Amino acid sequence: MAVNMESSLGPLRLRHPVINASGTFDVLAADRVLAADLFTDFPFAAYVPKTVTLKPREGNPPHRLYETAAGLLNSIGLANKGIEAFIADDLPRLGRLPVPLIASIAAEETNGYGRCAGLLDGRDEVAALELNISCPNVELDGKALGCDPFLTASATAQARAATGKFLIVKLTPNVTDILVLARAAVEAGADCLSVINTVHGMALDPWTLRPALGHVTGGLSGPAIKPVALRAVYLISRELDVPVIGMGGVTSANDVLEFLAAGATAVAVGTACFRDPLLAVSLVQELEHQMELRDIATPGELVGRAH
Amino acid sequence: METVPAQADLYQCPVVESRTVGAYHLIAFVAGEIAAVARPGQFVMIRQSGPALDPLLPRPMGIHAVEADLVKVLVEPVGKGTVVLTDARVGDRYSVLGPLGNGFDLSGEGTAVIVGGGVGMAPLALLAGTLAGRGRDVRCQLGFKTRVQAVAAELFRDVDVDICTEDGTMGRKAMVSELLVECLTDLGPAAAEAELFVCGPGAMMRAAVETAREYGADAQVSVAAHMACGVGACQGCVVRAGGEYRCACNQGPVFRAGELEWR
Ligand SMILES: Cc1cc2nc3c(=O)[nH]c(=O)nc-3n(C[C@H](O)[C@H](O)[C@H](O)COP(=O)(O)OP(=O)(O)OC[C@H]3O[C@@H](n4cnc5c(N)ncnc54)[C@H](O)[C@@H]3O)c2cc1C
Ligand SMILES: Cc1cc2nc3c(=O)[nH]c(=O)nc-3n(C[C@H](O)[C@H](O)[C@H](O)COP(=O)(O)O)c2cc1C
Ligand code: FES
Repeated sequence: MAVNMESSLGPLRLRHPVINASGTFDVLAADRVLAADLFTDFPFAAYVPKTVTLKPREGNPPHRLYETAAGLLNSIGLANKGIEAFIADDLPRLGRLPVPLIASIAAEETNGYGRCAGLLDGRDEVAALELNISCPNVELDGKALGCDPFLTASATAQARAATGKFLIVKLTPNVTDILVLARAAVEAGADCLSVINTVHGMALDPWTLRPALGHVTGGLSGPAIKPVALRAVYLISRELDVPVIGMGGVTSANDVLEFLAAGATAVAVGTACFRDPLLAVSLVQELEHQMELRDIATPGELVGRAH
Repeated sequence: METVPAQADLYQCPVVESRTVGAYHLIAFVAGEIAAVARPGQFVMIRQSGPALDPLLPRPMGIHAVEADLVKVLVEPVGKGTVVLTDARVGDRYSVLGPLGNGFDLSGEGTAVIVGGGVGMAPLALLAGTLAGRGRDVRCQLGFKTRVQAVAAELFRDVDVDICTEDGTMGRKAMVSELLVECLTDLGPAAAEAELFVCGPGAMMRAAVETAREYGADAQVSVAAHMACGVGACQGCVVRAGGEYRCACNQGPVFRAGELEWR
């Protein structure tokens, strides 16, 4: 049976359902190092660059990374050059990618989301915006505003007012009931939800028995969090009527099938890009093969099958 | 930076040699594209191929030697990622991404004073051979805790090496910084034209850089950092240099001593 891998995410047409997760694949850096010509042969169906914030952020002190059992703890601290430098230096080059560009934005104050969205609204290179609401927030004493439904709604509403572009809100799992946050975002105007960002965690150095990360605590990603992510995708997509981008621990084609069946419309690969920067190439081939074997004609056919 | 092969199956490299060298483990892979362009001080990200999810990520390893189409690394087992690497068997396939990083700047002309501590000697072996091959005056000092590590100094083939151990079980009973002081004193006025190439534990590198400064010599330092991607994507491997955070993987791992801020 012929498989048609095309997917759509709101107005975005995707060659297949696999995209990258913000902060884990840097096409501009990879293009310098890898022999592959990523600007012609881009392995993902859309590109999400690292989150940029209204003001540049230096990030957290080292160590920023520590590997745990089938997982990775990070405390990068949203190090980035700021949205103005992103627009001036990166956007023109990213506009040459053969896939839709989903810009990820964050701010330390709620109203910064509206300003960031406004700065990108007029840019043709940008197909959609993703709000990363896990950024440390000044109104919440440095906690992520994504932990608070009112601030989540307020950041979403401000971005919504500033842009007509497809608006994705990326939820943090570090809350008591992620459905409350999902509803808050959708009611405030989100067109789509990305589920999930990293899970709070920490590790101790086995020799010194001191915190392994310079920032003490960090965010856990990779296969260790897949069950957490799958549950969140399942609960949210069953309840709400917006497309969900599922992510958290995807390393294989089978993982992609599971996220689709749990209710995701597209699936993002994050930490696994560090195992192999071109993993997506083989993963998408294997996905097509698996769909053929299982008589699945389109990714859309599978979405929500587990409900 | 040089380009490397990037198709997923291209960097599935077969292991052709895997043996213990004292406390360390030497692994040789067939990796022609990497061997063809690797420069001293560059590194590779390596991981056993296959679906196993723990260890999850590749580990950075300095390029220790390059022979024809072979790339060799020298691994000190310190945790799960490196312990697994020491299980490598001939015929196993490893995912090897590289060469990565800037490597040492070889353009200087003064005496090259190579200072290594522990497994930090690994990338310095390729450096010493390359510099000696170019006719540069090379002095090598390597420091180890004890004999079982120091035996790896036999892997320095093209140059003479002064060895010391903290317990005197091999070579001199001294810290490598003491050998360095003697070497720079011995060079006399030429010491100010000398250039240090340093790789090892933080405290040792710091002492070496301090000594270099006293003698007016320049120093290049190869730093270690926890890495995930190795290519500048994750911002995880930063060190403090030039008043900002810089990624050890693509702005290093080699830095000028003057720009590094020690923690
Ligand atoms: C550019 C570069 C070149 C390197 N070259 C070599 C080499 O040639 N040979 C070699 O044996 N090692 C080398 N290393 C260090 C090696 O990458 C680490 O020892 C390894 O990643 C540790 O992984 P693990 O899973 O065994 O240890 P973990 O279980 O992750 O950690 C065990 C202990 O090692 C410490 N550690 C972890 N990563 C590092 C690190 N990168 N540097 C120092 N300490 C660390 C941890 O803090 C902990 O105390 C290099 C590192 C870099 C950045
Ligand atoms: C090193 C690293 C950096 C990340 N940076 C960002 C970021 O800038 N913005 C963001 O929205 N998510 C960021 N994330 C979260 C990922 O996009 C993703 O949501 C999470 O890692 C779960 O997916 P995974 O298990 O496939 O990695 C980062 C994750 C990692 C590991
Ligand atoms: S290891 Fe990812 S940026 Fe250096």
